[in-house]
Amino acid sequence: MIKCRNLTRRFGEFTAVDGLSFHVAPGAICAFLGPNGAGKSTTVKMLTGLLAPTGGEIEVCGLDPRTNPIELKRRIGVLPEDLGLFDDLTVEEHLELTASVYGVARQDAKGRIAQLLRALSLEHGRRTFASACSHGMRKKTSFAMALLPNPRVLFLDEPFEAIDPVTSKIMRDLLQSASRRGITVFLTSHILPVAEEIATQLIMIRKGKMVWDSPASELPQALEQHYFDLVESPVVEDLEWLGPPRS
Amino acid sequence: MARTAAILRALAQALRRDQKSIVAIVGNNFFIVTVLMLQNAGAFLDLILGLILLFTLSTDPLQKIPASRLALWPLERRERWILRGASPWVNPVTWLIGAGAVWVARGKVTVGLWGLCGGLIAISFILSALPIAPRASVWRRIPRFPGPLNHLIRKNLREMLCTLDFYVALLLSAAVLAYRASGMKLPAEALMPITLLAMVALSSYAQCLFGLDGESGLERYRLLPVSGWQVLLAKDAAFLVLAVLVALPLAPLAGLGAALTALAVGHYATVNHRREQIRWRFSAGAPVVEGLVQCALIAMAGSSVGHSGWMIAPCVAAWAGSVWWYGREWDGADR
Repeated sequence: MIKCRNLTRRFGEFTAVDGLSFHVAPGAICAFLGPNGAGKSTTVKMLTGLLAPTGGEIEVCGLDPRTNPIELKRRIGVLPEDLGLFDDLTVEEHLELTASVYGVARQDAKGRIAQLLRALSLEHGRRTFASACSHGMRKKTSFAMALLPNPRVLFLDEPFEAIDPVTSKIMRDLLQSASRRGITVFLTSHILPVAEEIATQLIMIRKGKMVWDSPASELPQALEQHYFDLVESPVVEDLEWLGPPRS
Repeated sequence: MARTAAILRALAQALRRDQKSIVAIVGNNFFIVTVLMLQNAGAFLDLILGLILLFTLSTDPLQKIPASRLALWPLERRERWILRGASPWVNPVTWLIGAGAVWVARGKVTVGLWGLCGGLIAISFILSALPIAPRASVWRRIPRFPGPLNHLIRKNLREMLCTLDFYVALLLSAAVLAYRASGMKLPAEALMPITLLAMVALSSYAQCLFGLDGESGLERYRLLPVSGWQVLLAKDAAFLVLAVLVALPLAPLAGLGAALTALAVGHYATVNHRREQIRWRFSAGAPVVEGLVQCALIAMAGSSVGHSGWMIAPCVAAWAGSVWWYGREWDGADR
């Protein structure tokens, strides 16, 4: 469902993504992991057609984002890094906009919107403008927008960050349910336990280069330890000026 | 005291960075045209133009600090009072008002007029310091439009209703309406210049149609499965709704021709040189030369349509061609 070969993106002298090649099968939940600045969001932007690659090939749903951008956008749902919301639309208006632009039939759209608002606990804030929403509400709105048109592939950039535990659980369940229905999920995250729980494929990158790609079942050790070994191990410095430790 | 001084220094720095409000005025077509046309009108006009400038800058400097951060800082009550009293003085406008007071003392302007100006600036300052409800909720009730772009057009209307440009145009239009309603007859030759001036007041916004969308909104535009021409069409529909509304009591057809021309020219700057805008300020358009070209074409188009209604056809054609061309540029831009 998602294929890329030798994907590269340079910004001047800086290479953000350096020759990535991977394949994600239909219905898989692929967790794309790496530290801040590793190139995760840049990769998602290239896969969704928001950013042109400097080199390499991409195929999503059998389409090249460069030659078929509109057709591709009809088949994918995206929760972007900065959520992609308009300050001057309410939560409900965002969903209605999505339904009409993606051509969801009116009656169908009404039902889907009501269900998503209920499932994501957005009902009470449906008439709140995005500019007045909390970060969590904004993220849930963007997530609902990604899901509403029933896409073939879902791209989610850090979906579980800044979300309350209940909503996080609901979102995880929704993603697993979507995956069982053949929808491919490609997500980035820093919350390793969540990635470990739901992902069926794990890709790790560091400084734009791939360091690991395997089915989740083939992970040789716990994800966190494997991540520390391959990507980056934490170096904790003792801040002595905080005072002597208490016994 | 050192803590208060450090905060005041940071505030002054933040305000210096906000001086783009001045740039906004300088790049505003209405401002340019008024200055050029009425430069010999004397001190009164200078004062009014100065007032427009000052209005945009008369904000409470303490607004620059997020309320939650200000509340968390370990400041004593006395320090907070000092901050409240001293913060207006880091805004250059306060010093300009002081200079104005000296001017008044020299008898150049009447005390009453200066009192009016000072009062308006004070209102602007106080309003910016008040915790007012979310900015967009003022325009919650916007009519629905047919078609899939309905909510995009409504959003664009809400954005445009948050610029001062629209209210200047509306003021001109409402003044004519009030004049006519009072039973007095407006000379036919006066109608066209007022229509054109109202369209010029709106025209800077046509050069920065994405200015209030923010990065997040722009990202959504790029994710939606719509073509560039549809994105521009939704923007233009909102602009034209308000332009026609303003032009109704004036010369509607000429106003429409001028508005279509403003958009046809403005698309270039809108798509190629995005300028972020500030709500409840005047729009900052393209550089002066581009603005003047746009104004000249608006004047030509408006007066041509005023003379012959058929001249609306080339205006529509130019606008449609511009939507198609710049829509393609929007689609093709390397994002």
